[in-house]
Amino acid sequence: MMRQIHERITDVAERPATRRGVVRGAAMVGGGAMAMAASPLVSQYRALAQNETGDDIISVLNYALTLEHLENQFYAAGLATFTSADIEALGFLPGVFDFIAEIGANEAAHVETLTTVINDLGGEPVEAGEYAIEDALASADAFIATAQALENTGVGAYTGAAKFLIENDELLTAALTIHAVEARHAAYLNILNGESPFPDAFDEPLTPAEVVEIASDFIVEAEVVTPEAAAAEDDEEETEGADDSEDEDEVEDEDEEQDEDESA
Amino acid sequence: MTVRPVHERMLETLVAEGGRVASRRGLLANSAKLAGGGAFALAALATPGFSRFALAQEDFEDDVDVLNFALTLEQLEATFYRDGLDFFGEEAFGVDPFDESIFERLTEIRDHEEAHVETLTSVIEDLGGEPVSGLRFDFGFTDATTFLATAQTFETTGVSAYDGAAQFLSDQDLLTAAGTIAAVEARHSSYLNLVNGVLPFPAAFENVLTRDEVLEAVMPFIIPADGTGDDDEGTPAT
Repeated sequence: MMRQIHERITDVAERPATRRGVVRGAAMVGGGAMAMAASPLVSQYRALAQNETGDDIISVLNYALTLEHLENQFYAAGLATFTSADIEALGFLPGVFDFIAEIGANEAAHVETLTTVINDLGGEPVEAGEYAIEDALASADAFIATAQALENTGVGAYTGAAKFLIENDELLTAALTIHAVEARHAAYLNILNGESPFPDAFDEPLTPAEVVEIASDFIVEAEVVTPEAAAAEDDEEETEGADDSEDEDEVEDEDEEQDEDESA
Repeated sequence: MTVRPVHERMLETLVAEGGRVASRRGLLANSAKLAGGGAFALAALATPGFSRFALAQEDFEDDVDVLNFALTLEQLEATFYRDGLDFFGEEAFGVDPFDESIFERLTEIRDHEEAHVETLTSVIEDLGGEPVSGLRFDFGFTDATTFLATAQTFETTGVSAYDGAAQFLSDQDLLTAAGTIAAVEARHSSYLNLVNGVLPFPAAFENVLTRDEVLEAVMPFIIPADGTGDDDEGTPAT
């Protein structure tokens, strides 16, 4: 019934242009952080200041910021690499490039705002890392395909993480105002990739573990923060070592069939 | 739990609003404003305190109340697409900027709204609540262009409604479920913007509407359940 977002992402990941030279393998490093472990990757677990109340909340915002950094850097590089003529060469009208530029500008605004909010709350915002996006920028086609994967992952990430903000009405609402915009982007990029802008009646929430696994394909070196509450939820599912991936984490390769909750 | 039907409160709102209720024409004129209101959210987000969001704290009684609010909007949308697509037919719409049939896309959207109605209804029942029912709508269909403009307004209002109401949910699973619907509404809105020649993502942050703002926006399309005595008037909800 629901078309799994993973399938779409896997579709994209399997396209040769976006496949090579990626960093893979995500290992749990206790306390709510996920670190990428693979050379030349330097894993880094951000130990957020153990301040009063905000740790949980800040970890959620930093999780969002982790993804927004990736998106922002991806678009910045892509928009610097390609011209409107390159996009038109794919058969699109000139305005398409401008729309993609708008998306890039939105992601930059998300980064800026999340950074400000985290600072205002006394947290330490994650910084941008180094991203494995050369393959994604090998062609205009790959750029657009990768953008689709990132946006759909972004929507799923926000959908899945919103519940970690349930105790904070203001931040929850603010996160949802970003969530919706990511969905707008995803719809448009689906169209550019020849797919329905809205393939299902319900979007699919992604767990932080799923998101990190997807994102890790695009990361050379970056701090990756995940919601502390998610780590608590996962505690019963013990993870040991980089390739001892537990059930929910098998997002990658081919036909992973969805064992997860039917997304409510 | 005390479940106070949403439509009951809508009618109260209608009375309270008196002659101030926006006309259909005015609503359409407002769609650009609704679609472009993200700048405010940005300002609010960057400002500790979020005073506007905090204003609405007393809006909903419980989770069922929030879900019935959502169900009201979904019934409005589902009925709108069901009747509108029947009324206009495929030829009226042509193709979108990417040469795909608009009618086909609208059919997908209609199916989604119907799925939302169905799911929300059963969730409310599972929670022991009473799903809002008996709403009747009057869309006054005229031409396909106006229909698409109204669709854009409904979808954009829908996203903002979910974004504004989600904070009143107390159950994590319900919040996630609401998020899975809100994202799809945003996808619909994005597409309808595109079809109407509007940037699909007019701002970096979605606009947020309070319950009262949403009700004011949709009230012109809802026929009061009593006081008319005319059973034939309007279209019953899907």
